[in-house]
Amino acid sequence: MAIAPVHITAEPPGVAKTKILVIDDDACVGAAIQAVLARRRCDTILAHRAIAGIHALEQYAFDVVMIDIFMPGLNGIDTIRHIRSSSQVPIIAMSGFRLRSSSDAVDYLEIATRSGADLCIQKPFQPMELVEAIEWSRALLRPH
Amino acid sequence: MSHIDGLAARSLPQAANDGEQVSDDFEIGRIASVRARIASEVGAAMVHELNGPLTALLLYVGDIYENRNRMAETGADRDSLKRVVESAFDETRRICALVHRMGDGFKAPIDQETSILAARDAIAWWSKAAAPGHAPAQGADGLAADGCGRIDISRLTRREREVLQLVSEGLSSKEGAKKLRISHRTFECYRSAIMRKLGTKNTAELVRLVVTGMAILSKPQGFDHAGHSVD
Repeated sequence: MAIAPVHITAEPPGVAKTKILVIDDDACVGAAIQAVLARRRCDTILAHRAIAGIHALEQYAFDVVMIDIFMPGLNGIDTIRHIRSSSQVPIIAMSGFRLRSSSDAVDYLEIATRSGADLCIQKPFQPMELVEAIEWSRALLRPH
Repeated sequence: MSHIDGLAARSLPQAANDGEQVSDDFEIGRIASVRARIASEVGAAMVHELNGPLTALLLYVGDIYENRNRMAETGADRDSLKRVVESAFDETRRICALVHRMGDGFKAPIDQETSILAARDAIAWWSKAAAPGHAPAQGADGLAADGCGRIDISRLTRREREVLQLVSEGLSSKEGAKKLRISHRTFECYRSAIMRKLGTKNTAELVRLVVTGMAILSKPQGFDHAGHSVD
């Protein structure tokens, strides 16, 4: 399967804006996040495959990375582990399965946290939940 | 889930007290327990498929809601708000189309949502239901099917359809016979006739036809809402 190219927003990231990388194989989710955050001083870059997101992280500095758990190819958990091995960028894990997935009673968001995610949000989520998650993650970057 | 658990609990103990019915009822009990797992698998598959569009929809609609007082105003954000409104409409239509296809691919009665027999079948069914325009020409077991992948049950008598309905719900021969107020031997005769007409080798295969939506059980005349025969 061809790797989807990293889509970079037309406007170059501004100094004061929050730079966000969204890694989600469902393009509609990234597009919605991008649209909602566009008026909230955020520049959002979308990657539809984990490997494309990792390449984007190598090329650009981001304030927050949002990662979907269930993706074809490299899954979200392994992606988080990979990123965490070399970066302290705040990571928000996203998944629709909060408590369990069908036959195996596994909390994937809990695994994501153990794997290095700083925050987990369950899909579907509202704009305010998204904004709060972004703001909370950004606070991690500030010196204590 | 409680309905499914009830089926499993009802069928299994009875098998131990029923002589020659043991293997048959045990099989039905096993089917019931498999159903519970499969219902969960189907639910998970549906959640997975619907999650993306629903997340996008909630974000768009939530954004509209938060900005509802500004929608009529003109300004720099007008175009981006317009894009959000249009996208919300598109995502809503996408979900509606998905639900339509789900309905087309799964013809079993709503209260038999627990009745998908095997995980493999469930996932295969979902893939077919989610793929627009897909119409399998043959059943999963190579049984003759119509252009929509359904088994023709028009040759079944009304009583045979009643029996098929009860068997597909996981009832044992004794339970089904009691419900129809006939002997369990008679019930088994009907079941054998159904299997012969539909070309299935065993009860599990028979149930599978129904729960995968391949054999469509239309509500027979003279059948009340509780599923009891009124003749």
